[in-house]
Amino acid sequence: MFEALLMAISPTYLMYMTIGVLLGLVVGTLPGLTATMGTALLVPFTFGLPTGEGIAMLGGLYVCAMFSDAIPACLVNTPGTPAAMATGFDGHPMVKQGRGQEAIVAACFSSALGTIFGAACYLLLAWPMVSVALKFGPPQFFWLGVFALTIIGSLAGKSILKGLAGAAIGIIISCIGISHAAEVNRFTLNIPELRGGVSLVAALIGVFAVPQVLSMILNLRKEEYVAEYKPEKGVILKTIIKVVSAPIHFLRSGVIGAFIGILPGAGSPIAAIVSYNEALRWSKDKSQYGKGDVRGVTASEIANNAAAPAAMIPLVTLGVPGSAPAAVIAGALMLRGLNPGPELFGTNATLVYSFGWSLLIAGIVVFFIGMLATPILVRIIKIPLRLLAPLIMFLAIIGAYAIRNNVFDVYLMLIIGLFVFLIRPLGFHPGPIGLGFILGPIIEPSLVQALYISHAVGVQRVFFSGSVSIILISLSVISVSAVAISRYRSRKKENAS
Amino acid sequence: MKFSYLFKGVVASVFGAAMLLTGGTAQADYPCKEATFIVPYSPGGGSDQMARRLVPGLEEALGVGVNIVYKTGGGGAVGFSELHRSAPDGCTFSNTVVPNVIISSKGEGVGYKPGDFAYIGMTESSAGTLMVPKDSKYKTIEDFIAAANENPGMLTVAGTGGSGLSRWNQLESVLGIETTYVPVGGGVGKMIPMLAGSHVDGAATGANHATKHKGIVDAILVAGPNEVPTLPGVPNEPDWNYVITWGLMAPPGTPSDIVETLNAALRSAASDPAVQDALTKGGYVTHDMTVAEVNAFMDAEIAKYAD
Repeated sequence: MFEALLMAISPTYLMYMTIGVLLGLVVGTLPGLTATMGTALLVPFTFGLPTGEGIAMLGGLYVCAMFSDAIPACLVNTPGTPAAMATGFDGHPMVKQGRGQEAIVAACFSSALGTIFGAACYLLLAWPMVSVALKFGPPQFFWLGVFALTIIGSLAGKSILKGLAGAAIGIIISCIGISHAAEVNRFTLNIPELRGGVSLVAALIGVFAVPQVLSMILNLRKEEYVAEYKPEKGVILKTIIKVVSAPIHFLRSGVIGAFIGILPGAGSPIAAIVSYNEALRWSKDKSQYGKGDVRGVTASEIANNAAAPAAMIPLVTLGVPGSAPAAVIAGALMLRGLNPGPELFGTNATLVYSFGWSLLIAGIVVFFIGMLATPILVRIIKIPLRLLAPLIMFLAIIGAYAIRNNVFDVYLMLIIGLFVFLIRPLGFHPGPIGLGFILGPIIEPSLVQALYISHAVGVQRVFFSGSVSIILISLSVISVSAVAISRYRSRKKENAS
Repeated sequence: MKFSYLFKGVVASVFGAAMLLTGGTAQADYPCKEATFIVPYSPGGGSDQMARRLVPGLEEALGVGVNIVYKTGGGGAVGFSELHRSAPDGCTFSNTVVPNVIISSKGEGVGYKPGDFAYIGMTESSAGTLMVPKDSKYKTIEDFIAAANENPGMLTVAGTGGSGLSRWNQLESVLGIETTYVPVGGGVGKMIPMLAGSHVDGAATGANHATKHKGIVDAILVAGPNEVPTLPGVPNEPDWNYVITWGLMAPPGTPSDIVETLNAALRSAASDPAVQDALTKGGYVTHDMTVAEVNAFMDAEIAKYAD
């Protein structure tokens, strides 16, 4: 492993990894350009490089995109990739309060920590962790999705019912198209373009960016900027101290991120959601969550970044990528005639470990590059709304188009956005709808597959046996009842006063 | 649309500059300034791998740049129907996967028939394989059949979506067994961990996957008249009629001389020793077909799935 470290700190490794990080900054910041798209675009350019440098560059892009997607999430309430949705829950309110710099610094520092945590898991715990990942089959993924859904309790605002309805809308929209399991057309209204389903990225851009732009336009006369830009001296150090002085919060977010990251098919977006929910559950003062609590930003960013290196663990141990960008990196290795998985681990462990070190160092590089870029990026909110609104709209359209090179996705994005804008005054929040988009593709196919399996062994054995399912079910029950109890109490208090 | 003119102008001038720099190497018999390669499946998947393996050779043979564009969704249907709508000038082509392109066309309102496309060539195929987890109770196909006969319907077997079902049912009737089929969508990547973690008793997919994941799953039966060299000692079932074939196709109505040019480019790209070597080691059988041969092959395949 020492040899691998020496490889990873060689100047060429560092240089290409840093180039990857810089590209990741751009890719993550632009909504629609996801880490998957970014790595796929970069692959041909890595062919001229030796394997180690090539994958270090791709890895650098991946982990940095998991940070930089927080930038638009915080500044303009539009996540740069689906993984940053939970970051925006508190990140954007912070920006609105003039704490933009604090939000971005917190996101950057916790992204760096999360990456380092995930990479350390990759280097030290790959094999024990992957044996846990294999315990996840269709029923376990179903329960994980249900557990993640319980976050609605904390997102929904005044009405749980509207939160649930919002998530249901999101899940139903995510079911449009040819079903994964049985190849049946669902809700396609005979429109051929709908057969491919609604792109998650385009839908999220619609849910967040379009209502944002529309309300900016409606408020043009009242407000000239998103928020005030107040550069504060010493904010970097203060924020870092705030993050460092909450070690349990860090560990919890890191562990959740790494464990969800290794599950093939779950990935950073779900890691961030679950971590946000747990941070909220375990904190004493919950009153500021959703209104600009920095812990919301750090919980989400630590987890979605820890999930990125962790998604490489099943790839190098089993040959099964843990996320879509990991699949692209797997493809890049295979085109070189290498077979990631037990074979590569057996024949070239140094390469496998050097990649882990590269990811770890990339975490540090992300921090410094992020710190250099923050003062410039935060100034986005100094752009007057009359310029910013069309700019966001422009980027939203480009982003929705870029994800699948499909104009139809742009129309869908606009329709979904308009729909969310119209139902917002009724008390529906974009959060639960976005949650439905992200969780639908996990919950629905795994439910269907688990039901198929239950034909053979019975519903009870499929859904309600095995330690993982039992733990996830108990957590969901605890989560729901905690929300119910606290709502009941606060209602009582209201009635009493 | 002032913007679009401006955009086109910028693109044209950038492109013109690029052509000046490269000396305009486009060949006389290939009329396009650049080619678009539609990949109808996700980045990193099998079709993406295939595209990336072939692109360097295609670029060399055609003398123009080849851009990969992902049009994913609907088990390939989105990309296939996009190709169907594209201009038949030979500048746009896509992967084709048989029988996926045939089975997906049966969907309502999909808008293409497998016979519509101009097929360029088939380059590789892989035999269907039944796999079990490494630590499975069933070490051989005989164990598997015995267990299935003892408890009909109790064994679970994962396959690719709805289209995998007919291929699995066919083996069931050949072996005279009854099992429970579990459809897995969104690529084989999700099927492998499901199998490795013993959430299903078996999985049926291509020998290429069984070869790649040798370390964590065992193949116990392959389809077709021959053994698969990368899976030595695994018995074959001649009556199991499950083969996946990969190739390239162009939009309907592409002029035959351009299809010939693309066929020549494809065959030269696929004959690269590095490509051949990667395929052979990966559990594929390689093919080298003329346009007439690929058309005959497609007619036969379409007839096979006619009902």
